[in-house]
Amino acid sequence: MSASRIERVVIVGGGTAGWMAAAALAKVLGSRGPGIVLVESEAIGTVGVGEATIPPITLFNKLLGIDEDEFIRETRATFKLGIEFTDWLRVGHSYLHSFGLFGADMNGIAFTHYMLRAQAEGLSLDRDWFNAEAQAAHLGKFGRTPPGAPPTMPRVNYAFQFDAGLYAAYLRRFAEGLGVVRAEGKIVAVTRAGDGIASATLDDGRQIAGDFFIDCSGFRGLLIEETLGAGYHDWSEWLPANRAIAVPSKRLAVLPPLTSTIARSAGWQWRIPLQHRTGNGYVFSDAFISEDAAMAELMAKLPTEATGEPRVLRFTAGYRRRHWVGNCLALGLASGFLEPLESTSIHLVQAGLAKLLALFPQGDNDPALAERYNSEMAALYEGIRDFIVAHYALTEREDTDFWRSRRAMALPDSLQARLHRFRSRGEVGAGGMELFRDSNWFAILDGQGLNPQGYHPVADAMPPELLRERLGQVRAAIDRRVAGLPSHEEALAAIVAGA
Amino acid sequence: MSGGVRSVAVVGRDTAAWVIALGLRRALSGIGVKVSVVELPSALGPADMHATLPSLANLHGVLGLQEEALFVRCGAVPSLGQQFAGWSAAPFVLGYDVSRPAINDVDFVQFWSLARRQGMRVAFEDFSLAAAAAKQGRIATARPGKAGQAPQPGYHLSAPAYAALLRQGCVAMGIEIRTSATIAAERDGERVTAVALDDGGRVEADLFIDASGSERALIGHDGFEPWSDAFPATHLFTGALPPLDPLPAHARIVAAPDGWGGLFPLQGMTAVAGHAAGEEAAHRIAASLGPVRNLTVRRFTPGMLRRSWIGNVAAVGEAAVALERLDAGESQLLQVALSNLVALWPVDRDDMQEARDYDRAMASHAGNIRDFQQAHYRLCDRPEPFWQAARAAAPSLDLAARLALFGARGIVSHRDDESYEPQLWAAMMIGHGVIPAESAPAVDRTPPEEAIGKIQQLLHVIAEEVRAMPGVSDVIAAKRAGR
Repeated sequence: MSASRIERVVIVGGGTAGWMAAAALAKVLGSRGPGIVLVESEAIGTVGVGEATIPPITLFNKLLGIDEDEFIRETRATFKLGIEFTDWLRVGHSYLHSFGLFGADMNGIAFTHYMLRAQAEGLSLDRDWFNAEAQAAHLGKFGRTPPGAPPTMPRVNYAFQFDAGLYAAYLRRFAEGLGVVRAEGKIVAVTRAGDGIASATLDDGRQIAGDFFIDCSGFRGLLIEETLGAGYHDWSEWLPANRAIAVPSKRLAVLPPLTSTIARSAGWQWRIPLQHRTGNGYVFSDAFISEDAAMAELMAKLPTEATGEPRVLRFTAGYRRRHWVGNCLALGLASGFLEPLESTSIHLVQAGLAKLLALFPQGDNDPALAERYNSEMAALYEGIRDFIVAHYALTEREDTDFWRSRRAMALPDSLQARLHRFRSRGEVGAGGMELFRDSNWFAILDGQGLNPQGYHPVADAMPPELLRERLGQVRAAIDRRVAGLPSHEEALAAIVAGA
Repeated sequence: MSGGVRSVAVVGRDTAAWVIALGLRRALSGIGVKVSVVELPSALGPADMHATLPSLANLHGVLGLQEEALFVRCGAVPSLGQQFAGWSAAPFVLGYDVSRPAINDVDFVQFWSLARRQGMRVAFEDFSLAAAAAKQGRIATARPGKAGQAPQPGYHLSAPAYAALLRQGCVAMGIEIRTSATIAAERDGERVTAVALDDGGRVEADLFIDASGSERALIGHDGFEPWSDAFPATHLFTGALPPLDPLPAHARIVAAPDGWGGLFPLQGMTAVAGHAAGEEAAHRIAASLGPVRNLTVRRFTPGMLRRSWIGNVAAVGEAAVALERLDAGESQLLQVALSNLVALWPVDRDDMQEARDYDRAMASHAGNIRDFQQAHYRLCDRPEPFWQAARAAAPSLDLAARLALFGARGIVSHRDDESYEPQLWAAMMIGHGVIPAESAPAVDRTPPEEAIGKIQQLLHVIAEEVRAMPGVSDVIAAKRAGR
């Protein structure tokens, strides 16, 4: 192989993103791969956003080969079947974006078209009847699909809610066990080489040189922006929230297998149930509410007693024009920020790592690799952006300036086209390689009250009696499956006790 | 909203018209859509053929066609790939593989390119079960073997016979067929309200499908964007040669100084099709292939309509996209058109908003097929001005990025709405001489001795599997006998 082969990878920053990168690179590139150094400073706090995740996280766990039960114990995790949206359409309204599908395709078209037809014919039905995750979530139940289960058994797709600090610590032990070296220190200078990075200098004078750098330094983007000037696409026009206040509170009496997001006067509040505490926060725009007033609003609405000091985070929605420049790649907040309304922060790190590992440069660092990475990440970011913006765009709220401004905003063309198609035929036509599929879009758009005027014409082919029978069968299969599940608390207790 | 589509009229000729009519009838019969066909005179000659990929089997499932009929009535010869000769340094067979070999979950391309850079001589195609079988004139049975899933063949079919078979299927399904030498469209703005026939009759429908080929009888020629830069040939030629003996299990695509000519084996004859820069060149290339009978030469410009669905008229086949006779592109795109018409069947007969999504899907697939075909031209290293001009044409951004990424790392980037699988891209680019500059670091997790062992084992397994496969002629005889 060429002499310029990558011998050493330097990861700058040790939050969730940094340790995810260290763990994945060490695991996949292996002991014959490059040496990996992670630089972090105990003096610099980590943001630790993204305590809530989406189902692809289970793939990341598989990639690392970690035991799921051990991971749950170590990170005080709970299971997550979806996200509950409260007061988003109007005050007093609530809906679930549950994982998984509604029913199953029939005659080549999605089940949701048959639900729409039945509703058009006056049948009163609740979409959550046809989604196992939603039914389990409503009843506070959870169970994994047993090995060897028949394909007809409705699946319960899940993700996790966990303590991001414990997660980073867990991954650190994992990565150090695979030979990753941690360097404690604060970076005081960065030396460039050509269009990339040569080394970082720590406050004690040590020089950390590397062949490839991963910038996990957070919003500032110490390498990617402050050193390499990658540039930033600002999406404030569509996502004006630029502050978050985060505060932990006591554990909930009963742990729901759900993340909650509750619309507030100038943004929304999250509630993430963990085994030992509850994560809370308020995402808002300071153009519409002061930090003090937002703090007061959040503290008044905590579900349980606060157990720590609130912290304020400042950000701008958007992403880097280039995530990979020269020999430097940005991950996590250094690569962009999308508010965690759909729990995508950790997924963006995970997806970035999967793409990096596929494209990992050997020696000459051909620019085609970075170009491909940048275009795939741009598509991923834009898809998530549209999905998040749709929640705001479809509100009926008129009670504050913030919500009035959301109703009035001009939408990205790509989102406009999707809403249009959904309105006319109950589907957006999401591609098979997109993160959010048609079933996810249905959950959100239908949840936000966008009623399609039509559905796929082929749904009309089924005789009415047969349609009722099929709807009944799907509902019954899901009820049976969910009835056999233990409660979420019981499922967790069994795992915790299994230590 | 005024309600759904009650009737669709397919206006056109030959395979495109019959596939779409039969496909729509079968997919939409449950919702009472009336399907009719206005049949224009056939443009097919006795030597015209269709080349198809293995995915044709999916289409035939939808259409309810039996494989046996293809062998008995359509002169079908199974094909596992295309051999390219005279394009790049060495001829190669582009095999239609289903599975993608891997070593310890890492794509085999990564190991092959590493070994190649270290001096291994064995060609990439030798690791393709489809290519190895094709070169020996053998066809895989459906049974999956040790080297992965057995490759299913595509077919070469006699076009007039295939169109007749499909037409018969339409008749059997009760589709009303009216014939007319010419038609006149009655219009209301962008919409067609009715089609007037030579016999004074009229056919009304809510939706019209233009399957009239290069005539574009309803959709019109406005907005046709030619791809003449990338494909400098101006003429298409077709004809017939005597059957090859023994029958090859692949097509043979031969590059010439100013175009290319293809040999596509059928039962009882070899169909010839190719593209050339001018009429004279077409005759010259045809003559270089052998004593071609029934030679016809016509002007042909690859390209596509900017909008393939306008108002209540959706175009399919060559009316929407004109493709060179390479890589079974036409057959692929016809399937794309049918599946998108069904997936996007309009909810409102007076306001067909689905047109935009149909346009987008067709443009994506057509662009992808064009890129694949253009890659043959770009990677061809012939010195003649014709080929120099083709190489000088700018590739699409997608193709440029794809070639760069594969050249760097042996990775094929893949997106939604594409027609060719990544392994077909990889085999094509390597066949034309691209050797990725480096391999993914993941190859290092497999010790070199183990990798060499696995590579040799793969060769051995392929050789063994191919030896067990029957020859093309035996397969044809068995299929014709209904076995």
